[in-house]
Amino acid sequence: MGLRLSAAILAGKLTALVSRVMGWKGSSLPGLVARKVYPRVLKKLGTEPRKGVIIVTGTNGKTTTNNMLARIVTGAGYKILHNSEGANLITGVTTGFVKAASVFGRINCDYALLEVDEASFPKVVREVKPQIVIITNFFRDQLDRYGELDTTITIVKKTLTELKGVHLVLNADDPLVAQFQRKTGLTATFYGLAGNERSSTAGSYTREAKFCPFCGEALQYAYYHYSQLGAFDCPGCGYKRPSPEVEAEQVKALLAGTDCKVRHTTGSTALHIPTGGFYNIYNALAAFTTGLLLKINPTQAAESLRGYAPAIGRMESFIYGEKPVLLNLVKNPTGFNESLAAVLAAPGDKDLFIAINDNDADGRDISWLWDVDFEILEKNHYGFTGFICSGKRAEEMAVRLKYAGVPTNKISITGDLEAAVNEVLEARGGAAYLLSTYTALWTVQKILLKQAEKGESNAHHMPSVS
Amino acid sequence: MLTICHLYPDLLNLYGDRGNVIAFVRRCRWRNLPVRVQEVNIGEPLNFKEIDFLFLGGGSDREQTLLIKDLKKHSESLHEAIEEGLVLLAICGGYQMLGQYYRTHEGEEIPGLGLLDFYTEAGPKRLIGNVAVEISMENLVFKATGFENHSGQTFLGKIEPLGRVLAGYGNNGRDRKEGARYKNVFCSYLHGPLLPKNVSFTDLLINLALKRRGIETELLPLEDSFEERANQVMLDRLIKK
Repeated sequence: MGLRLSAAILAGKLTALVSRVMGWKGSSLPGLVARKVYPRVLKKLGTEPRKGVIIVTGTNGKTTTNNMLARIVTGAGYKILHNSEGANLITGVTTGFVKAASVFGRINCDYALLEVDEASFPKVVREVKPQIVIITNFFRDQLDRYGELDTTITIVKKTLTELKGVHLVLNADDPLVAQFQRKTGLTATFYGLAGNERSSTAGSYTREAKFCPFCGEALQYAYYHYSQLGAFDCPGCGYKRPSPEVEAEQVKALLAGTDCKVRHTTGSTALHIPTGGFYNIYNALAAFTTGLLLKINPTQAAESLRGYAPAIGRMESFIYGEKPVLLNLVKNPTGFNESLAAVLAAPGDKDLFIAINDNDADGRDISWLWDVDFEILEKNHYGFTGFICSGKRAEEMAVRLKYAGVPTNKISITGDLEAAVNEVLEARGGAAYLLSTYTALWTVQKILLKQAEKGESNAHHMPSVS
Repeated sequence: MLTICHLYPDLLNLYGDRGNVIAFVRRCRWRNLPVRVQEVNIGEPLNFKEIDFLFLGGGSDREQTLLIKDLKKHSESLHEAIEEGLVLLAICGGYQMLGQYYRTHEGEEIPGLGLLDFYTEAGPKRLIGNVAVEISMENLVFKATGFENHSGQTFLGKIEPLGRVLAGYGNNGRDRKEGARYKNVFCSYLHGPLLPKNVSFTDLLINLALKRRGIETELLPLEDSFEERANQVMLDRLIKK
């Protein structure tokens, strides 16, 4: 069998090499080829990490959490293997292992840090046994691929219930995530965010969990952070936000990132997260909590987080001439709302570029655009000199903006990505914001890298999100 | 003043369904027709006589059983309102609820409101994808586009379909029928959302609502090039010439 493993690894590595020469991204093909040669390749290689495997799953923040965790773990001197670019289906995970393996099937690492797509989670876990599973949040996302949100959650829950000895790291503020401790019977550590001046007491449209997952009663909230995240409790059965072992408070949005204080079991640590966007605090908390579980010194973990650099398209900054340019991935209503909030909070006049593709990886159904609260632009479009709609569904994006109340003379449709990026760079506004769905992201980033300078700090031009 | 009612917006708003309400409201306001939107949730009072346009969206299966209980209390008055011409758009789950029953995979029959003559059965696979439908009604023939995502397959009894499937599955993937129409009730699986991209349909609904209030008027024409382009992009993709 060792021979087939070697053959699979070689085939995968060769595919990766060819992919690179051909200029493809090549994150899933090598894994696919290796699995064809030897279907048990991941199962074999999955036992290689000396100290274990850590999986991040959930709807939003997987890539960022995994990359933040990678910084914390390597900062503590461990060697890691990880799928850092969002190749989070089983083929992508396999690629990560094959690339790291010697031809004899040896991998020199302490931890494998894997981000895994919710729908692929059962498949991956069947082959790679995790020691820790982090669940970030659950939102509506790509319903055409996964069916309903309930289905996704049930699948993840069922898979976890069958696992033994896994330690969960759970978001205490999301009722859909927090239920996992009781529902699976596994040990869990909770992280969360204390109420602050940004939290609201009113609901918004895109809220996923209206009812208690245990008794079906409508949940009540003392406050919301965003979407269904907040201090919930059920008047029916008493299910409520678990009091988190790791909790962030005194959150301050700065020009170059976010500051907060984190209270944990062994004390309190100041965190600086070098990227804006409220949701990134959650990602940092998830990574920090996991670091504590691995017995990494909290001060050292905080120091590592300080040096975190966002992945492609996660509030990635560029400079065009004098103009700050920011690129962010959008893929579901909650993430899009948060991106809009960040753009709106930025000072000065600006242009907004939105690229919507509907390829498989984006989700073929783009109806979720109608769940994004673009209506906020009806009163706030004055801060924008223009809105440039691009991608395969540029026209539909333009319709959405029009019906949100943006004047049509401010909206333009330029389906071609390169032309549209140039349009926004040359536009009159003092800053350019580019929001893009998954499959347009690499193309847009490539064009930006060609036309503009990479920003020094990813968060430098981020507004304060207050 | 036209009154628009989004019924159970908390529960029946999967897949951007509220886009249909947004489109109806905007197209009235752009013409200076006064409108107000009423959101009615479970347990709240509901008077169909005051409503000019009733919207029922889709929801997840679990939530649907919750609200059918509530809606049952109103089925008598809803029946009357439908008979006297209430304009109602029902999408996906909302559509299924108006029928006779939904038979699950396990063979259990969940009764619907029984207002319209059709039934739904859980199918072997989920019908998912972009759809194009040819709709003809009143003096209007047009091609509508949207996205469908349903495991229920609906079969019509003595009731008209909304349209003929040009691409995609429609009610059940077999008889090329999409949706249902009875008086001023329009049902569809196209959650795309239907109204913003299919403006002549939206305007027809506005006209019907006005007519029911005794107002016969020519709607002011609007500039619709974005909407027409968005619809055309999908038609070009789905229908090979």
